Amino acid sequence: MDETVTEYIRRTVLKIPREEIKAMLQKWGFLSEAQLETINFHQMKDNISQDVVKLCEENSADIKQAAVLDIIYNHIYPNKRVWSVYQMNKTGEETDFFDLRDFKKKFKRRLRSALQNVTVNFREYEDNAIWIRVAWGTPYTRPNQYKTSYVVYHSQTPYVFISVSVLKSNLPLLCEALLVASNYHDIREMELRSHSLNSLKDIVFKRYNQNFQTYRPRPLQERNVVPESADLRITQENRSEKERIQRVNREIFGDGPQPKLEFAQYKLETMFKSDPKMHVLDKKEPFRCLVKFHSPHLLESLKSLAAAGMADTPLSPLLTCIPEKARNYFKIREKKGFFPGSFVSP
Amino acid sequence: MESADGAARTLPSTRRLSRGPLFGRAHGRFGLSPSSWLLPPAPRSQVGPGCADPQTTAFLLRKQWTLYSVTPLYRFSNARLRDYARLLSACIAAEKQKGLAVEVGVELDIKVAVSSLPDLKGSDQDQAAILVQLSSRSPASQKNSEEKLIWSGWFCCVFGDDLSENVPEDFTCLPLFLANGAETYTSIVGSWFQKTFDCCFRRLAISPLNLSWMAAMWTGCKVDKTVSAIELVFSVPCLPHPLDISYAIHPEDAKALWDTIQKTPGEITQEEVDVFMDCLYSHFHRHFKIHLSATKLVKVSTAIASAHCDGIIKFLQSQYLTGVLMLLTELAISQIQ
Repeated sequence: MDETVTEYIRRTVLKIPREEIKAMLQKWGFLSEAQLETINFHQMKDNISQDVVKLCEENSADIKQAAVLDIIYNHIYPNKRVWSVYQMNKTGEETDFFDLRDFKKKFKRRLRSALQNVTVNFREYEDNAIWIRVAWGTPYTRPNQYKTSYVVYHSQTPYVFISVSVLKSNLPLLCEALLVASNYHDIREMELRSHSLNSLKDIVFKRYNQNFQTYRPRPLQERNVVPESADLRITQENRSEKERIQRVNREIFGDGPQPKLEFAQYKLETMFKSDPKMHVLDKKEPFRCLVKFHSPHLLESLKSLAAAGMADTPLSPLLTCIPEKARNYFKIREKKGFFPGSFVSP
Repeated sequence: MESADGAARTLPSTRRLSRGPLFGRAHGRFGLSPSSWLLPPAPRSQVGPGCADPQTTAFLLRKQWTLYSVTPLYRFSNARLRDYARLLSACIAAEKQKGLAVEVGVELDIKVAVSSLPDLKGSDQDQAAILVQLSSRSPASQKNSEEKLIWSGWFCCVFGDDLSENVPEDFTCLPLFLANGAETYTSIVGSWFQKTFDCCFRRLAISPLNLSWMAAMWTGCKVDKTVSAIELVFSVPCLPHPLDISYAIHPEDAKALWDTIQKTPGEITQEEVDVFMDCLYSHFHRHFKIHLSATKLVKVSTAIASAHCDGIIKFLQSQYLTGVLMLLTELAISQIQ
């Protein structure tokens, strides 16, 4: 069996957390139950992967099976990669019937016509998601299985989620192949990027909690209300302010959990305005800044800033518009005209 | 600096015996009270005392240095540097015998070099900087095998007159120590110095107040080639999900702002720094409705240098090296007293 294939399988198995290895191999289905029974999954991962490789050799695994294992791994752990969202456009109203075989054939053909040395594999999932794995080579070298791009395409939508990884120069070719195969005319990158693939889907498919206006006849009660019989000298000074913050946050962010994004970036090209008393900078050119926000869970973090006393309520629309506008990269310029305090982002 | 932090940050085997009178300072300067601060001297000429030769200092640039304050060293002599190297080398070998695992599975032969950097100082009164370097040589081929530099540390004093003036004769003032390399080596070297010269090392933290001074000062410096943004990094750790905010301003725009604030060239006041920071905070607030002043400023990065509140510095321009060292010496002296 090809050495590169065995090594690749070995390394893929090593990536999997030990408790999950058996389940993932079962999903893979390449090794029989009987074969899996022979492996001791409680030994060190190094040894487990060696055992797996031996069995794969018995079954003569080739690169296709190895690639499928890699897709399964990435499908279960998509958050190890950074995903960007792309939107495809087609002119005209035709809703074509989506033929999966046709799609796969056209995609492969388009890629291969430009670059012979690629490995392309597909896997379909229940939610209409098509996972495409592409390993890139060059005109002179075989595909490097460690330099892969992933595409997740939901055939009923114009959205594509791409994780390019190292070789960004192959991106145009990838996009072209997608357009040809899916019968769209053009594709553009939405300024939306994150590790959390599911959150990106939530944002783009509007699956996060929308806020619906509900009628609330009575003002909100605070959760931990001090019983009235307690010492009357103790009062919650900022109770009404706290309630207002909660209420406004609810209106803006909705009730449910926020989609999980890790960063947001703003390129500011607005004017610097200051208190005229201060006699400071009064230039006619923009004050150029680049602001980046980082957090393990950005939107929840921003939501908690007001309650922590670090931000005003309501929070700036530049931040709260992220899920609605489906982007986390912005360029902000001064809006010309009547209201110099408002901003546009192109 | 909080004593709890200080205790956690000192090197092991600390014996703090001060053999002299209390080192008093006439008045707080750097950010401790509203006052003027003389800007670090403009780019130094190539000749004259106290100018740092760019060639010898090139290796100091673009490396991450961890900062410590060091109390004056008792009976340290510039003439005995070779002896110190020998003794330190023996100490390291002894630590290795004790089974101190520095690098797994590699038998390293460690060579110690202690040298003086006579040009790295501020005033004539300052002690010349002392550089300690640890290189490793793999025992595989003894003779011409390459020596790899694995750790460097240097003591310096730049315009530390406030301290050196008040110190009795037997003491050498080198209040600032910078280390680059594995923490274990820093520990060994530091412990040896502490034992041998009866001094005390403490991690030098940089407060947000001092960081904002650095931001203002370095924004005003003229830099020819590079267009490096002025970057301020704020941290909000105490939220359910911690948040980091990086606020980078185009250097020309930041400098234009600073130039309208600074009244007297060569001098900076606390008030001017406050106005500068307030301007930046209010520009940010205008867009995001977030009060940066309520967050913690943890890092400042400019074309001159970058400084982190944990006491980590990176020098990026040799012409301003002395200026930055002067600032850090001041911080170190404040921490000692």
